[in-house]
Amino acid sequence: MRLLVTADIHLGSPIRSVALRNPDLGDRLKQASRDTFVRIIDLAISEKVDALVLAGDTFDNGYPDLRSRAFLIAQLSRAAEAGVPTVLVRGNHDALLDHRAHGELGPNIHLLHKEMPTVEIGDTAFHGLSYDAAHVGKSFLPDYPKPVPDKRNVGLMHTSLDGAPGHDPYAPCAAADLMAHGFDLWCLGHIHAPFERRDGPVLAVMPGIPQPRHFGERQGGTVTLVEMGDGAPVAERRDVSRLGFAELELDLQDSGDQQDMVASLRDGFLSAQLPNKDAAVRLRATSLRQSGAFVTELAAEVLDDVDRVFLDKVEVVPPSRSPNTETDDLVRLMRTEMAEDGFRQAALQQLDEVRTALPNEIAAELEDHALDALLEDAIAEVMLALHAERAE
Amino acid sequence: MRLNALHLIRYGNFEDAEIVFPVPARDTPDVSVVFGPNEAGKSTAFHALLEIFFGFRAGAHPYAFRFERSDLLVGADLDLPDRGATVLRRNSKRSQSLLDTDNRPIADTILGSALHGLTRHEFEERFSLDERGLRDGGERIASAKGDLGQLLHAGVSGLTGISETLNTLSERADKFHKKHGRATELKLASDRLKKIGRELRADRLTSERERTLRQDRDQKAALFDAENTALVTAQKRRLASTAASTWFDRTEEMERLAETLKNYPSGPDLPRDAAERVAALVEKISSLEARISEADDDVAGLDQIIEGNPADTLAPALSAELERLDQMKVDGAPLMDRATTAHADLDRRTADRDALATEISAALARLSMSGTAVSDLVLDTEDLEEIAEAVEACRMASEALNTAKAVADAARAREGEPPSEPQDLTLLRVAFEAWRPVSDLTAFETEREQTLARLTKAAADLPADWTGLVDAGLPAPETLEKAAREWSDLSSDIAAAESNVEERSKELEDATADLSALQAAPEAVDVATTEETRRHRDLAWTRHRDDLSDPSADQFEAAMRADDSARGHFVAGAEIRQRRLEAQRRERTAKARFETAEARLANLIDRRESLSEVHSRLSVRLGLEAGAPPAAFGPRHQALAAAANAAADHSNAQAASDTRRHREEALRSELMEAARALDLGVDKGNMAALVQRVLTLEESVRKAWSKWKDSQKAIDKLDDDALVKKDDLKQAELEFERLTSSLPLPDRSVEGVRTALPQLWNLIRLHTDHQRLDERVEALQQAISAYSDGAERLAKILGTTDDQGGLEPIQTIDQARLRVAAATRADEQRGDAESRRDKAKAARDRHKTDLETAENELGDRFKGQGDDSLMPSDRIARLVERDRLRAKHLAADQERQQAIVGVDKDLFGEELDRMPDASRGIVLEQQVQDAQDSRDAARDAAREAERLYREAFDASDRSDLVTEQATLLEALRSGGRNAVVARLGVLAARGALRRLAEERRSDMLRDVEAAFVTMTAPKWRGVEVWSQVEGEKLVGIDADGDKVPVDKMSTGTMGQLYFALRLAGYRSFARDLGPLPMVLDDIMETFDDTRARAALQLCAEIGASGQAILFTHHAHLVEMAQTAIPGVAIVDMPA
Repeated sequence: MRLLVTADIHLGSPIRSVALRNPDLGDRLKQASRDTFVRIIDLAISEKVDALVLAGDTFDNGYPDLRSRAFLIAQLSRAAEAGVPTVLVRGNHDALLDHRAHGELGPNIHLLHKEMPTVEIGDTAFHGLSYDAAHVGKSFLPDYPKPVPDKRNVGLMHTSLDGAPGHDPYAPCAAADLMAHGFDLWCLGHIHAPFERRDGPVLAVMPGIPQPRHFGERQGGTVTLVEMGDGAPVAERRDVSRLGFAELELDLQDSGDQQDMVASLRDGFLSAQLPNKDAAVRLRATSLRQSGAFVTELAAEVLDDVDRVFLDKVEVVPPSRSPNTETDDLVRLMRTEMAEDGFRQAALQQLDEVRTALPNEIAAELEDHALDALLEDAIAEVMLALHAERAE
Repeated sequence: MRLNALHLIRYGNFEDAEIVFPVPARDTPDVSVVFGPNEAGKSTAFHALLEIFFGFRAGAHPYAFRFERSDLLVGADLDLPDRGATVLRRNSKRSQSLLDTDNRPIADTILGSALHGLTRHEFEERFSLDERGLRDGGERIASAKGDLGQLLHAGVSGLTGISETLNTLSERADKFHKKHGRATELKLASDRLKKIGRELRADRLTSERERTLRQDRDQKAALFDAENTALVTAQKRRLASTAASTWFDRTEEMERLAETLKNYPSGPDLPRDAAERVAALVEKISSLEARISEADDDVAGLDQIIEGNPADTLAPALSAELERLDQMKVDGAPLMDRATTAHADLDRRTADRDALATEISAALARLSMSGTAVSDLVLDTEDLEEIAEAVEACRMASEALNTAKAVADAARAREGEPPSEPQDLTLLRVAFEAWRPVSDLTAFETEREQTLARLTKAAADLPADWTGLVDAGLPAPETLEKAAREWSDLSSDIAAAESNVEERSKELEDATADLSALQAAPEAVDVATTEETRRHRDLAWTRHRDDLSDPSADQFEAAMRADDSARGHFVAGAEIRQRRLEAQRRERTAKARFETAEARLANLIDRRESLSEVHSRLSVRLGLEAGAPPAAFGPRHQALAAAANAAADHSNAQAASDTRRHREEALRSELMEAARALDLGVDKGNMAALVQRVLTLEESVRKAWSKWKDSQKAIDKLDDDALVKKDDLKQAELEFERLTSSLPLPDRSVEGVRTALPQLWNLIRLHTDHQRLDERVEALQQAISAYSDGAERLAKILGTTDDQGGLEPIQTIDQARLRVAAATRADEQRGDAESRRDKAKAARDRHKTDLETAENELGDRFKGQGDDSLMPSDRIARLVERDRLRAKHLAADQERQQAIVGVDKDLFGEELDRMPDASRGIVLEQQVQDAQDSRDAARDAAREAERLYREAFDASDRSDLVTEQATLLEALRSGGRNAVVARLGVLAARGALRRLAEERRSDMLRDVEAAFVTMTAPKWRGVEVWSQVEGEKLVGIDADGDKVPVDKMSTGTMGQLYFALRLAGYRSFARDLGPLPMVLDDIMETFDDTRARAALQLCAEIGASGQAILFTHHAHLVEMAQTAIPGVAIVDMPA
């Protein structure tokens, strides 16, 4: 039995990067989640897998659209007609997969849920439970069926395994309990960075998000092929994404002139190129003499000649310096000023003014607790602008 | 930190160059003016200083044009606060680039702490100033609009753009978001996001929207079905009405046609092409009758031709005999062709044959064999050729043998007596080659004499025992140079250190006096004292409460007054306390500096004493007096070294000369021995010439001997060749004998046969020709006989044998041929006429048959059609008209029946009952049109609803909008953060600048005012601070005492104010952290002399607090500096 395991496709959810302001890239990637899913189906067909497994969050709550469901059905039907059945469960984003509200998905597309937790394909029994609500705080594992004797048993679960940090605690489940349940393979979803865990002959696969949508998901971009032979299952990751995110750190302090800087940037961007796909690069440059605006402008010029690399964000930071060696009166006195209650009160008002004006989706960026970090950035910004102003 | 010297070891154009910045004398400012023309390398020197402090920059280096980047090396002699004098070097490596004088890596922290953590750029900003920076700085501080904090910041940091920077940051933040702003980035993006949100909500296919679309689609479909049914009903009625109208009209027409047909014959309908067929038959019958008549005429004409050409009965026999004669051949040619010439040929051939027989007899006679049959002597051509070849082979072999013998005899005659055999001269040659190079001793003798002369000269001024000093070992030159350099450096250092001690001592005295004065002031009371007086007062009060006595009251009063006094002084003494603290700090600093200076001086004196002892020991080793100055060490060391070298050269030359002479003698003896062994008869007098001649002739003797030996070998080979030729002749003669043994010639020797060969060849030819002619004569005779026989047979057939006996055979044959030809022509004409007559008869018969058939068919066409009185064409026209009327009747009936096909019977009945009704069709057409319109509208509505439903699924999902929405949000996320950061930065920076003004105003303002007045007096008298709502402002006080805001000053004045601020900033830094070198690059270039002099005085002020280095290429500034700055050091740029 050969499976293609994927999860967290989030159909319809867009890529969130300023890099997409580039018209060509924006046009290429406006349907990135759909295009990636088409690639996944193509891969399943070309690899002649025995089943395609979707471990939840096929859709995205933020983008509920029946067209996405129609698209999903069309693609899964294409796979089914090519001899690849699909087994899937609902994740916490999959209201569009509610079979009671929207009906069945079609022949050879098996949605597993409480009323139908198991389907057998060939010599393998697939078990899974679906989310019936957006938030599930308890583990699904106790409700999973027992392994079917004389069959290979595969589990599908959408879970924040071991309460994975950085992810909402949906259907939390201890990895040790999961591995001890008696299944040969667990196909998991919810965590967007891929990983595999093995406990003896049991394998758990978190395939990751097939198309990363922002810098925080830069580890994703893959699906996992699983070979279930006589021994323990064997996993192999395949890259299916169309855009990758990369981080580039450059020290521009030694760049004597603009030409040196251009050369450093070009070398850096070339090293950030990703094979067979576009790359959105977050540049973090260390400098005391170049403003963020200047570096951004220069980077944009350099990227005109570098294929498949686009600018996600530019951050210029001054070199770190020991507080004991601080000779700049302005920095020292800015810190003193910032420690004053009155200043902090005024700063929070500034924060509140901008936060209130921002769209709700991103207002959380400027919560009060972010003040200290913003103040450090403010010191760096003033010093960079001041030194850059003189340098320029 | 102080920079004592800059070493440009390999850097730019410089190699091993040095710029020394002398330590100033006591009470003089530390100012060095470095003078050099343009392009002399001032910028190079400044960059070198930066490289030493902060390391080489990565990438291509601007000064790596003479030396490779990897070879660049700079150095500096520095006074570091915690280490004293330190010599450092810096190479261009990325790590461990800071080195000591032994090129060992040193940690960069040594410099890092001395530079107080400044970066390269910060150092450039704070500790360098050029003319452009001064001018721009002056212009830029105008934008500070006199803000005290911003001006002081410019002074301490060298950064003049804080005002613009903060404004730019504020503008950036406002550009992103401003309260009530209508065109801010945030507002525009938010509006766009709202629009996108609306579009997406409208576009999104939710379950509710899908349900609405589906219900609408189903309703529209039902309405369409109803309207469609109505349309169909209307169309059916219209169809029924049309059918009824048609039925009614056609029925009337049919009745009219039936009445007309009663006047026509009643026979069956004609076949479809009856009329055309009848016309064709009439024409055909006429045509056939004409053709039959023509055929009868043709048959009669042909019968006449046949009768005129009867057959010849003799022709076949004649033709057969002629053919036999034509096929007979004589001598390969047809008999008939040769018959006319055969008699003449027979006579000529017979005569030729007889002549050949005569020639054969003559040939036999020449061979002396007249009686012999010719056939005995006629051989095959091949046999005779073999005999001829054998004769030729015998002749050739005999000639070759004679030639070989002659050649061998001639060679033997050419050789004379043998030459003498050569000897082996190898040993003689080796000995001669070894002796010849060493035979000349002149050069060695000359060298020995020259070195002796040089030695005598070198040792002339040295003590007699100089060789002993050299043998004992001379000190190394580096040691002597180092000793001289150390002594010189130490002397300078001690002088500087003594001056420094005095200066520091004075500073300490001043600081101690200041502190004492401040401590003595009553306002100097500190918090501890006030707390103590308060404690005493409280204690006195407690005691007084317990005692309530006068003494206790007095004590309490005294304590209370003391406490009030202390507190009063404390409250009034904030500035005094601040100054006292400052004085304490200065006193501690001065004391530390004084102690450091004293320790450094003592250390230097100790070093000088220990160095003197070392120098005494070096003097003795050089043969000098014990107190000789280190400057004499070098020359003496050079003289001793030169003498030692000359002695060594002479000794070497003497030894070389002796060695060469001994060697020559030994090799000459060996050569003599070798010559004697060869018995050449040499003696000492002629040895060289004789040996050389023998060796020279060796090669020619060897060649002559070799040549004679080669000739002997050639003669032996020629003899062998003659023997081989003799054997060849014998073989040829045996072969000749074998071939001619059976030949019946009287002389069968080689010569005899060779002579007979032409006759033998001639006999073969004559015999062959005779035989051929014989055969041809016989063939001609046979031909003449056959020809005559044939002619006789032809004559018999023709019957002319008796009547025309005198005819020649050829005439008979010609007559026969004419007869056969005439018979053949008659046969051909007769045959052709018979054939044509048969064809004409057959055609006539065929036409008759066709005529009968056509007449029968015409009769059949009218069968059953009644009246036959008319001509066929008229008769058929009437029948055709009848059939047309019948067809029309039938068509009307069919149309009528067709009209009711598919028509609702009930509706048809209803409509037929209404007939005739002229307006019925129009009414029903309008009803159908109305129904059609309603149905079409319903159909379109249903289709649109279906399209909307399908499109909701099929349409692209507006991912472009979703992507734009996400991208905008990302831009706003970072834009918002940047805006807040900018705003907070501006807020904090403005607060910090206010604090800077408060913190620095007391000390820096004094320095700023003093410097400003120094440069601008008498036009300006000072500066002052105004407190305004927006903060404190600096204003200038002009000669009239008027206050002038900074931004109202002239550009030049602002430049001078900026310089004053930088000076104050430098002094502030030097006070707080210690001095660093300040590099000023031609800042007075555009100043007039008065201002330049004033600026130079300010340089002296910098030099008073730290170190000022002024680069200039103006000689007049150098002169001016020498007068304006006491003790200024003038340093030339190295070449």
